[in-house]
Amino acid sequence: MAAFPSRWTTLVANLLVPLGLLAFSSGFFPYKPLLPGLAKWEDDAPPAAPFDKVIFMVVDALRSDFVYANDSGFLFTQSLIRSGAALPFTAHASSPTVTMPRLKAMTTGSVPSFLDVILNIAESDTSSTLAFQDTWLAQLKARGDRLVMYGDDTWLKLFPGMFDRADGTTSFFVSDFTEVDHNVTRHVPRELAESDWSALIMHYLGLDHIGHKSGPRSPFMLGKQHEMDIIVAEIYEAMQQKPHLQSTLFVLCGDHGMNDAGNHGGSSAGETSPALLFISPKLETLGSRAESPVEAFADLQYYRTVEQADITPTLSGLLGLPIPLNNLGVFIPELLEMWDHGSQKLDVLSRNAKQLLNTVKATFPGYTFDAKDTASSCSSGADSGIQGAQCAWSRAQLLLQSNADTSDSHTMIESALMQFSKIAQEVMSSTASNYDVSRLSLGLLTVAVAALLVLPATYVVCARSKHPGGFLVFLIVGYGLMMFASSYVEEEQQFWYWMCSGWFFYLHIRPKSSRARSSWMAQCAGPGLLLCQRFLRRWNQTGQKFAAEPDIARTFLPQHPNVLWSLVILTYADSCVHLLWRVPRSILARLGAIILVVLAFGFKLNFVASDSPELLEGSFLSSVVAAYPTGLSLVLHARLVFFGLACLVLSALFSRDPTGSAQAPNKLLHEPLSLLLMTQSRAANIPLFLVFRIQVVLLSSFTLTELEVTITTLIAQYMTFFAFGGSNAISSVDLSNAYNGIGSYSVLLVGVLTFVGNWAGPIWWVSASHLLRPDEAPVARQDHAALLTFHVAMSVISVMAACTALRTHLFIWTVFSPKFLYTMAWATVNHIAVNLVGGAGLAHLRSK
Amino acid sequence: MASPFSPASSLSPAASSSSTSGQPLVEKPPVPPVNILPSPTSQIYSFVQPTLLLTLFAFRFDALTANPARELLNSLPWVLLLQLSYVMVCLPPVGTVPSPSSSKVTDTGSPVPGDGERKSAPRSPSSPSVALRPGKPGYRRKQQTGKNVWAGIWAKLMPAFLSLALLSLLATPVLAILLVLFGAPLTTQNAETMLCAAHMAVLSATALIYVHGVDGAAWKEVWGFALPADTVWGGALGTGLGAWFGAIPIPLDWDRPWQAFPITILVGAYIGYAVGTLVSRSPFLYGKRIRFAPEDNEIAEKKKN
Repeated sequence: MAAFPSRWTTLVANLLVPLGLLAFSSGFFPYKPLLPGLAKWEDDAPPAAPFDKVIFMVVDALRSDFVYANDSGFLFTQSLIRSGAALPFTAHASSPTVTMPRLKAMTTGSVPSFLDVILNIAESDTSSTLAFQDTWLAQLKARGDRLVMYGDDTWLKLFPGMFDRADGTTSFFVSDFTEVDHNVTRHVPRELAESDWSALIMHYLGLDHIGHKSGPRSPFMLGKQHEMDIIVAEIYEAMQQKPHLQSTLFVLCGDHGMNDAGNHGGSSAGETSPALLFISPKLETLGSRAESPVEAFADLQYYRTVEQADITPTLSGLLGLPIPLNNLGVFIPELLEMWDHGSQKLDVLSRNAKQLLNTVKATFPGYTFDAKDTASSCSSGADSGIQGAQCAWSRAQLLLQSNADTSDSHTMIESALMQFSKIAQEVMSSTASNYDVSRLSLGLLTVAVAALLVLPATYVVCARSKHPGGFLVFLIVGYGLMMFASSYVEEEQQFWYWMCSGWFFYLHIRPKSSRARSSWMAQCAGPGLLLCQRFLRRWNQTGQKFAAEPDIARTFLPQHPNVLWSLVILTYADSCVHLLWRVPRSILARLGAIILVVLAFGFKLNFVASDSPELLEGSFLSSVVAAYPTGLSLVLHARLVFFGLACLVLSALFSRDPTGSAQAPNKLLHEPLSLLLMTQSRAANIPLFLVFRIQVVLLSSFTLTELEVTITTLIAQYMTFFAFGGSNAISSVDLSNAYNGIGSYSVLLVGVLTFVGNWAGPIWWVSASHLLRPDEAPVARQDHAALLTFHVAMSVISVMAACTALRTHLFIWTVFSPKFLYTMAWATVNHIAVNLVGGAGLAHLRSK
Repeated sequence: MASPFSPASSLSPAASSSSTSGQPLVEKPPVPPVNILPSPTSQIYSFVQPTLLLTLFAFRFDALTANPARELLNSLPWVLLLQLSYVMVCLPPVGTVPSPSSSKVTDTGSPVPGDGERKSAPRSPSSPSVALRPGKPGYRRKQQTGKNVWAGIWAKLMPAFLSLALLSLLATPVLAILLVLFGAPLTTQNAETMLCAAHMAVLSATALIYVHGVDGAAWKEVWGFALPADTVWGGALGTGLGAWFGAIPIPLDWDRPWQAFPITILVGAYIGYAVGTLVSRSPFLYGKRIRFAPEDNEIAEKKKN
């Protein structure tokens, strides 16, 4: 195959891969417009609100049967259901059933799409907020009311500056069952005595912790339910006795449920069925008494099932607030009875319907909702989809215009409005989870064309050397198949560790040159590589199944800080030696190199001292840190390090050593790159770079061929990503070093630093591949690019195909979609930007 | 009786490997492949034994999942007994296979079959690439006289005891280290790892030690994976490869008790052993070596120079 066409096909293929990813994403993550601003009353005042205060008590993972079934500990709450003071529901929580999106659903009334979740987590802690979205909390705040919050600090992250008094508890220590709830309960008597707030929000985490730790059948579960029930009783008594709590609505709900293992995130019945109760002495007058407790159901749908989003319009109506703009909820009709007059009920419903109509119009700008236009086409009787919404709206409008003030017509209009609202909710919710299959196919097809383009070059290379070529094919096929099994996606690191051991074993048994055969070093390189690999494998336990098992970085090193810091110092010293070896042989350059390494190490020490001082406790460095100049801020310190690295890079690029004693620029560049990656890694991961150095030395004793270098670094890139603690879960994105040297939030800089921090291992190995490469002939480089492109295209195809085929799978949002996002990062940033563009830059330097 | 697995002469690359590799291996002639003894008992038992092993394993599988360590310990003597009986019935003991270091053959390309040696040569008689010289004249004399039955048994028992000693002293620790290097837990489940290694050692190394003894050249080829395919090496390779593939089901979230650490590895090892020991006797594979395209390496070397 001639070099010329190969270069162009690879280039075109790499343009097609991002295009395919884009097309697939647009079909997989549908765009949903968000209306900005806060809702306001349009003209007239709403009907008098039955309540002026709300106590919103969230019990994390409060599955419906924990309250309603006959083995529940909520005995007082059940007596309230019997007396009619509590209206019980099962609130359907849609996937992903984790706290943040559920809180978003309960406060904005919208159905958060998966992309919302990603954006929320991927953004920084301070920017993942609902501060600029319309919620019932924002409406209360806009009215000038006060809000207080106790419990899960997710609320504080979602609503910064919203609460006048707050005490957040973190859900980090899952093994804590009592303290985390005591922190909330101790504030309750004082807040019940205060009269200045309009909303008291409590979020109890203990029950969820018990679930995560030992499941819904845990012996701790009943006791925790009793504890929660006592708090309900305390609040209810206060509502009965205290005059300032006379018109208070008490909402008790779970944000999500749990499955039989006690976990949540997916869409099984247990996870999506939390309890929801509206409690007030006023409700007793409605006379809607229900039987309680009841027999346990397998499907957990106790009483009537409503959507979790319905809480928002219901609360807004009952508190006399405008309904938040992006709400998709429908007023819960049982609570309409709080108003006496039919016209008031109609008013509440029609406000809800108008608000829903606005969101529908924003999403479907092409449709008109004018009664005259649509009346003619509605005779066929469409009652679902966007046409159904049009017809229902026009029917309701016609009835409203007739304007007869009788109870009969009220009931008719009520049911017409409810019908429209239900259809609108259905239409809008399904746009949040509908897939555009034609776009999914387009994306798949585009990447398939890319794979076909590089197939000939790949075939030629693999056919030329059978064994490594066969191994590469085995790797690509195995990886592709693995993407269809959720556990293998969760445990992807096992695949790469397994492949890596196999590949090192192959390197050991492959024939060696006569020189290497007799060399003691080459004979021991295979076992040595396996030993290094064994350390990497255990450095960070990642994935799902074995994530909690002890490892080196999170268990051993924190317990032995002296070992940790000795290794870190050794790594920096090794880096220093390499740097001194590479820089031009002048006193100035050498002095600068030493200062730079000391500065970089000082930054790490400073960072750990301020961020996780427990790693320094009892180590020989703790006295050094105590004497450290406190005036040097972390931001400035990081900037100094980056500046020094930039100087080093520039000198490598532009200086010509007259003596010719300096090394090739790409070898010199490897050193500042290592220092940068070390700066962007957690302290406990820094010794990994030392292991990489040993591996490179061992690998270089093999005299690898071009193809073998490609396979080695390909495996090493993926394997080290997981060795650094990465996984295919969004929660494993490490943001600890994303703000180094950054004063104010900047999406681009934080994004780049986050990528560098999480892909430190892969980036290091891309650079190392140029150290291992025997010869940088242009043909070989194109083969390398074609092979990498083929692998990336095949992995993208398999992930896309898995996401398409399994789009109704239980784990689509928890396992496959995060994997797709990671694949996008691998394919665009790691493959195209780092491997191809960065690699081409290094190769150019080398040939200079 | 001729072996049913007689290799076709064209498929025996033992000789060609030395001639094409560019490196004249005069000082190290390759170790020849070993075949099952030609007697009917040996031939039949060589098929019965893997079947018997797998049946035993399947039969004790539930006990293994219930308590891996205890079951592995309890079954170890039985598996060892099976393996020792297999090697003594089916395989030529050490010394009757001509090892390069003892026979001092320099030209492996020209076999020198002698009439009298045919009987004692345990390998397939039609294997042309193998120097059909007896290892040590002493064995031949004993066997030829035929009157000293005890000596013949002793010749078989000696390497059997050697196998036993080396298995426990060397093969098991080496395999345990390999298991840990390939990802077996180091801080926990040490008993399981050691017992798993012991089982794998019994499967893979009993026959290797029985046939090759402590011949340095043969073990160097084991270290470099350069032995020719035969039932002994095939069983050993199959054990290792099977154990590697046995790791596949462990990460699945099925939460089955048999997904615990040593069980799937052992299932893979046993199946791999049975498949390897049978498949490598087929005429397609017998006598072949794992060879890697030598041109790759030579190109690399040329470029370096």
